[in-house]
Amino acid sequence: MSFMDSIAAGLSLVGNVESFLALFVGVAIGTIGGAIPGMSATMAVALTLPFTFAMQPITGILLLLGVYKGGIFGGSIPAILIKTPGTPASSATILDGYPMAEKGEAGRALGMALWASCTADVISNLALILFAGWLASFALSFGPPEFFTLILFSLTIIAGVSGTSLLRGALSALLGLLLATIGLDLVYGTNRFTFGDPNMMGGLNFIAVLIGLFAIPEILAMVWNPTAHVGTARSLGNNRVTFADYRRCFKSIVRGSFIGVFLGSIPGIGAAPSAFLSYSEARRTSKNRDNFGKGEVEGVAASEAGNNGVAGATLIPLLALGVPGDVITAIIIGAFMIHGLQPGPMMFILNVDIIYGLFIGLIVSSFFLFIVGTVAIRGFKYVADIPKRILIPAVLVLCIYGVFAVNNNIFDVGVMFAMGWVGYLMVRYQVPAAPFLIAFILGPLLEDNFRQSMLMSGSDPLILFRGPITWFFWLLTVITVIAIVRAGVRAVRGIPLGGGP
Amino acid sequence: MTERQVQLRLGIGALIAAVLLTLVAIPQWVSSPSNVQRLVLSPLFWPYALAGFTFLAGLGLIFGGLRMTDSGEPVDAPSDDPRAAWMRLAGMAVIMVLAMFLMPRLGMVLTAMLIFVATAFLVRTRHPKTALVCAVIVPLVLYAFFAHVAGVAIPQGDYLRLP
Repeated sequence: MSFMDSIAAGLSLVGNVESFLALFVGVAIGTIGGAIPGMSATMAVALTLPFTFAMQPITGILLLLGVYKGGIFGGSIPAILIKTPGTPASSATILDGYPMAEKGEAGRALGMALWASCTADVISNLALILFAGWLASFALSFGPPEFFTLILFSLTIIAGVSGTSLLRGALSALLGLLLATIGLDLVYGTNRFTFGDPNMMGGLNFIAVLIGLFAIPEILAMVWNPTAHVGTARSLGNNRVTFADYRRCFKSIVRGSFIGVFLGSIPGIGAAPSAFLSYSEARRTSKNRDNFGKGEVEGVAASEAGNNGVAGATLIPLLALGVPGDVITAIIIGAFMIHGLQPGPMMFILNVDIIYGLFIGLIVSSFFLFIVGTVAIRGFKYVADIPKRILIPAVLVLCIYGVFAVNNNIFDVGVMFAMGWVGYLMVRYQVPAAPFLIAFILGPLLEDNFRQSMLMSGSDPLILFRGPITWFFWLLTVITVIAIVRAGVRAVRGIPLGGGP
Repeated sequence: MTERQVQLRLGIGALIAAVLLTLVAIPQWVSSPSNVQRLVLSPLFWPYALAGFTFLAGLGLIFGGLRMTDSGEPVDAPSDDPRAAWMRLAGMAVIMVLAMFLMPRLGMVLTAMLIFVATAFLVRTRHPKTALVCAVIVPLVLYAFFAHVAGVAIPQGDYLRLP
């Protein structure tokens, strides 16, 4: 199929009111969800997922992608107006956004955040379109040993960079892998940790685990401290962003977008580190570096470009390799699976219309983000006024309905509650939840590819080193582990990363 | 809890989990056919391997915790009154257990209404009337969507039958 044929196939799939409406509604939900302190882009995507079950696959996935894009931008609104990031990715925006709001320039900061987000979003989407197909065609030559080493590398990097310590990340990933062993054995069909309960034989439901890990702990945190997330919103002020501001920050925006694309395409790193790296690079190279941290509009532009640059790029490993790049793409992979689609290189052959439909939808989402964002900036005070102690019970009820709807099974609701407590303990003990969830998703794939490799070789482990691709991933895994351990040891000793004491 | 205590507790927890898995859980709850010729292909191999790595991670955490200098700074989420906070958490656990018990009997809509009210009052809402109104409306709207748009068979219970 030629490129033009693929685009035509994609357009025929998404060229209808329903798809664009889903995308628009998704961006609006995401922006509102991201803007509410105490919710997050992750939670917004997780809670929207059950509503996609009744939709066509492409419509449902576009809705979720809209929520993702909107959520990442939405987080910047409370970051600037009430010094509370709506989503962790917006933490860097506080550094200059809130000082600008204090100076009466909140409208200018929010305007720049929107322009930078939309620009980065377009660049990120273009990178996805350019690189995902290329990577997928490369991955078509992968066999079980190559996939095993790829997944192992992905899990290593996700475990290493998701939290404060490699060991806590590794522990989280191991628990996720252990949880994934529940159910019938992949080869022999015997019971593993099912306790004789038929509900456990198919393994634990992914949506129940996901919502339990990412929504219920927020509810429990609110129960622990009901007066958290309280802040006073600043007014927008009279200053608005100008084209001169945008032109002055353009270099930082483009640089931040590329940083976002690069870090987003590596599984596990995510939007928050990208925003901070983009911010620090902008500060290092700016003529106004002394103003950074005191209310410099370029700082807002750089951090917002950094976090939104990730949004399209995290879909590169998801679509091309079937490996989720972060927690939100892990939720989106769940949406694919629910609709009977398996992201990965074969999808570029079997479902090329869906792939190109998504590409078209993503490009359109940047324009929707601009429209919705412009309205959201002005309407934030209504969102900020929603009482959190009414919102949280509503979220709990929504979780119960959503999880039940997956399999029409009350057992899944129980799994969600149980995972909620696990997630809350992980929050309190500072164990990152992202490696747990991604390991839970990738666990069966990891084991399956390992055992297929062993079957192929007559149990000779040397098959896991059979060619340049496997060597490449082993090398990356070793380098990653060494780098993370070295960084951890230096952090414990209090040595700066850049050099000696 | 300080950072060091967290690290040590995690390490000890991981060690205990690994030992329990190896000695109790895997032998008892993972079945393997007797004709598996190679250990690496057995259904037992993967759980044992994961238990082994969990043990190593636990050792690493304990070792790291012992080498860590204790700053004495607490890492817990702050709360105005910890005792009341623990009571609220226990209350939330009771709500969840009761929800599982009541859902097949009262149905999902009535149970969701009760959960809404109980949770709103547990977190000391300052808008009790709004909470009561939302407790009725939110479960009904969700019922309407899931039952009539998404085609999900929402449990109706023994006392209330909704259209």
